[in-house]
Amino acid sequence: MAASISGLLKPWTPRVCLVRWARYNPYYLEPEVRKEAYSRPEAELSPEEQEQRELKAHRPIKAATSGVTSSLFDDPVLSKFVNMIMKDGNKVLAKEIMTQTLEHIKRKQVEKYHKAPEGKKEEIECNPYFIFHQALENCKPVVGLASIQKGGKFYQVPIPLTDNRRRFLAMKWMITECRDNKHRRTHMYEKLSQELLAASIKEGNVIKKKHELHKMAEANRAYAHYRWW
Amino acid sequence: MALHRLSFRLRQTVTHVRSLHTSGCGQQQEATAVESEPEPFSVFRAQENDPACQSEKLIGQYYTLPPAHIKTVFPHGLPPRYQQQIKTFNEACMMVRSPALEVISYLKKTDFSKPAVRYIFYGMKGSGKTMSLCHAVHFCYTQGWLVLHIPDAHLWVKNCKELLPSSYNTSRFDQPLQATEWLRNFRITNEPLLSKIKTKQRYIWTKREFTEEGAALGELVDQGIARVKSSSDVVGAVIKELRLQSGQPESDFRMAVAVDGVNALWGRSTIKKEDKSSVDPEELTLVYNLRKLMKNDWTGGSSESGPGEQHRSRPQVDSRSQPEVPEDQGIRWSHDGRSSHQHPVSFCWCSGPAAPTVLLP
Repeated sequence: MAASISGLLKPWTPRVCLVRWARYNPYYLEPEVRKEAYSRPEAELSPEEQEQRELKAHRPIKAATSGVTSSLFDDPVLSKFVNMIMKDGNKVLAKEIMTQTLEHIKRKQVEKYHKAPEGKKEEIECNPYFIFHQALENCKPVVGLASIQKGGKFYQVPIPLTDNRRRFLAMKWMITECRDNKHRRTHMYEKLSQELLAASIKEGNVIKKKHELHKMAEANRAYAHYRWW
Repeated sequence: MALHRLSFRLRQTVTHVRSLHTSGCGQQQEATAVESEPEPFSVFRAQENDPACQSEKLIGQYYTLPPAHIKTVFPHGLPPRYQQQIKTFNEACMMVRSPALEVISYLKKTDFSKPAVRYIFYGMKGSGKTMSLCHAVHFCYTQGWLVLHIPDAHLWVKNCKELLPSSYNTSRFDQPLQATEWLRNFRITNEPLLSKIKTKQRYIWTKREFTEEGAALGELVDQGIARVKSSSDVVGAVIKELRLQSGQPESDFRMAVAVDGVNALWGRSTIKKEDKSSVDPEELTLVYNLRKLMKNDWTGGSSESGPGEQHRSRPQVDSRSQPEVPEDQGIRWSHDGRSSHQHPVSFCWCSGPAAPTVLLP
């Protein structure tokens, strides 16, 4: 017993090391994955950015997660969406669903493009990434509701939302809508592609949900002063 | 013309997407888009859409199948992924490949009095065996031959929902569903020729149903479609009639037999009998009759086949089938790759920041 205690007091490194810890020493800096950030010449950078560059020369940097790449096709919004679709850590299946969704959207749009008359061809958007971003933008709510207690009762008070919260709500609504309101035999990618296409032209159930939230916030305008931040 | 507007539209999408998609302004990407304009698609579209007139100059280019032919020649012949592409792009574009052209040139010079020559397309997975087979079948159809196309022989030896003991020979098994489906498609493909060919024998199906000698082959086929139980035997009868008649001087038709997945006829089947023992392919009526066609003891036509998807690296050709001329699909030429990249770009399939910069082999 004495041997084991004295063994712990010596300087030691753990035998099993995770590549990326969730809790890093605050000394560590975030990695910069995008190629464009490194190709900018010295003159273009503002003084803060120049300071950052100097810091990176001598400070340690956190390991990048396996979900980010420096390829042209890396999209942080898309990666976040894939992570939200993922269940039980099955990233492969989530990524597969997402690629099938994008392919399905592309197929529908290209079909429409080839069948459209000459004048209408310019208006049809064939890029599924653009449609995905447009749909998410259209689904983001502007104000949210918070439950605040005042005088023993709880009131739904309209509050401003941060960008992250708005993006999260849009994605969450989209995914729950596609999981719950679909026929048993429809595939997830089919339903997702239908909803994304509808949302990109401001139709569909997710847009309706956003409008209902806005209406509730408008109805509870009187309680807005209950917010203290 | 429409082509210029297509390239303009492509450029517009590329720049439009770039501003939204990538957060920083990629100067290098802008430069490449402006410098390398997408080449006009006319370079990769073959001018000649008739398989009979296609020459070696068109290898690597895409020719369009007329929409009327797709429904008649290939009611079941095209792979499902390709059918999806037809639906998306609203037209069927097939690449002209050298093995297909070689087989077509042999077919043009066949001597119909000699026994049938058998050709096999083999190669790696994804090298274009099925599509070359379909190209050859299209050629045969445009020349007015009778086409016997089995899209995938593997479908006959696995996942059989209904298996009946054969009424003709008790040791064999019938597959009514697959047989009726094939007869229906056979009728769609060969409608004009069926009324001209007459049967040489009397066939008795049940106590009251029979087909007279000298009746049109179309009637035999209709009998098989109407009476599902005897459809496998009808298939056998049709094959026998065609085999006997195709080489005769008085018959004016040529026969082309095209089988995809021919290894299935000699391999194993996954169908089980009631006592859980496996069924040999020889015990299936459809396969038994088809094997007779694969021998070259008949004249007046030729047969093309391709091994199935199971066999990837090695071309597995059964020694009993004794092919005459193997066609190699293995190596993809460089212009093959270029046009197969340009084709999706010009059909608005590939767009976005990476479309002009994809590496070509």
